[in-house]
Amino acid sequence: MPYPALWFRRRICFYFREASALFYAQLIVNGLVQGLIVGLAALAVTLVFGVARFANAATGDTMTFGAYAALIGHKATGSLVVAGGAAVGATALLSLTAYALVFRKLAGRSVVALLVTSIGVGFLMRAVLGIVFGHNQQLFTVPLVRPIRFNGLVINPFDLQLAAVAAVALVGVFLILYATPIGRRMRAVADNRELALVSGIRPERVMIALWLLVGAVTGVAGMMLGMKTVVSPELGWEMLLPAFAAAILGGIGSPAGAVLAGLLLGVAQELSTPFVGFTYKLSISFVVLLLVLLVRPRGLFGRLEGVR
Amino acid sequence: MEAYLVAIAIVALIYVLLALGLTLQYGFTGLINFGHVGFFAIGAYTSAILAMNGVPLILSFAAGTIVAGLAAWPIGLIALRLRDDYFAIVTLGFSETVRLVITSEKWLTNGVQGIPAIPRMFASISVGSLASFAVLAVLLVVTIIAVLGMGRIVKSPFGRIIEAIRDNEDAVKALGKDPARFKVQVLILGSGLAGLAGAFYAHYITYIVPDQFIPLVTFYVWMAIIIGGIGRVSGAVVGTVLLMVLLEGSRFIRDVMPFISDVEMASVRLGVIGLLLILFTIYRPQGLMGDFTRR
Repeated sequence: MPYPALWFRRRICFYFREASALFYAQLIVNGLVQGLIVGLAALAVTLVFGVARFANAATGDTMTFGAYAALIGHKATGSLVVAGGAAVGATALLSLTAYALVFRKLAGRSVVALLVTSIGVGFLMRAVLGIVFGHNQQLFTVPLVRPIRFNGLVINPFDLQLAAVAAVALVGVFLILYATPIGRRMRAVADNRELALVSGIRPERVMIALWLLVGAVTGVAGMMLGMKTVVSPELGWEMLLPAFAAAILGGIGSPAGAVLAGLLLGVAQELSTPFVGFTYKLSISFVVLLLVLLVRPRGLFGRLEGVR
Repeated sequence: MEAYLVAIAIVALIYVLLALGLTLQYGFTGLINFGHVGFFAIGAYTSAILAMNGVPLILSFAAGTIVAGLAAWPIGLIALRLRDDYFAIVTLGFSETVRLVITSEKWLTNGVQGIPAIPRMFASISVGSLASFAVLAVLLVVTIIAVLGMGRIVKSPFGRIIEAIRDNEDAVKALGKDPARFKVQVLILGSGLAGLAGAFYAHYITYIVPDQFIPLVTFYVWMAIIIGGIGRVSGAVVGTVLLMVLLEGSRFIRDVMPFISDVEMASVRLGVIGLLLILFTIYRPQGLMGDFTRR
């Protein structure tokens, strides 16, 4: 960027030349699927934050695990349904294991202890994946299908399937959270831990359910991410910042907020691409994160709580 | 073998500088800086770019230190308003953004190709190992000054205030002190130190690429201070020595088990760092050199 003015003008020109309504619409459509993935990851982050009270930095690497589990399931059977089942089941188990072996032992310790430990857990997962599967990028081999054209708008049917999967996962999570006794207990613990405990809620059970649920959500997000891009051990780590950003933007502890914020962030990332270039796409989430924390630290849907 | 030991010692001292900065920030003030590598990168690139354009090394080193310190200033201003874990996430985002900028702005940093042939320190001394010894000597002096300086800072009234901020920020406020100001100062100091470490790194390795500045470096330093004992200057040093044993020792594992490839070794290192972070926070939060009376 030796001549910033020139660079900027070129960008603006590009925008005007290409900037038909269709162009934007296409970017928004592309952003929505990406946004669903971010939203699912943010949902996992926000659930842990709400109930277990820490920012789980292992979320990204748990997603990577989900992607590999799906990949194995898919390679073994060729069925995407089996792949999804493998991702959900295996990742839920992994998540529960991480709780039982690590996070349970740190109950009551400082936020920092848990944060640092979750980084360690993430590293350990990524290392094991790296040793077992190597560092070559792997692909889901799915048949190519003709894209659906809709008034010039190109929609990949595959994206529609992914969106459907995400929608099913979301409905499932919200049903569990809002229509089952264990979901109500989870929300009660998130709301007011002490009150929940004195009203006879057994925290251990809530935690087990929480980590299973979080693992399942993370698994779905990981599988979707793996299918949209290529599977490699670093896959999920790069989703961590967007996931945190969306969780905070949505109001930490608010499941619906996390999903909506994820969608917003996904679309914002895509819309920014022609303007700031591909590499800076990721830092959009960082900028959004900063702005939200400075302007409205409880997020878009967060409750009023002295969080900062 | 001698040249190898000197090389390790130089890298170890660079890590000691990084660990000292983080000890000041986290150990003494409680600032969870997950973006230490960002300041390291800023120092390395600033100094390298200036030196490539003919600026004398002593000035480029100073510039690397100052620019890295100044970069911490806006981050510090944000820190005034954020809770611990949010601050950690924001600093992590900062270091990743620094890496993205380095990768993208080719006109300045040569992008992913990196900057090769950065001027060496003591280029006038042609004998290889003698020049390395000179670098080691300078670095040793700088580190000793930094360690002594840290000792002084920690024992000064300033040190007592930052420790008080870590232990009970509200109490500090109640005494009429402004914790925010001290936090910013600590961030600038620690990041400047990281910048200086970066300058030494760039001019010693003489080749820098964005890939050398991934978040893993930050967590190497975190591991060093957690193992050594948080909030102890001696802990930073001991922890770094152990870190180097771990990082360099893995090289010798390859001699015994040649079937382990380079990438696998990278994964093994990552796993060991992860495991140590977990085990130490669960079983020995005070670290090796830590205060056993406090928890």
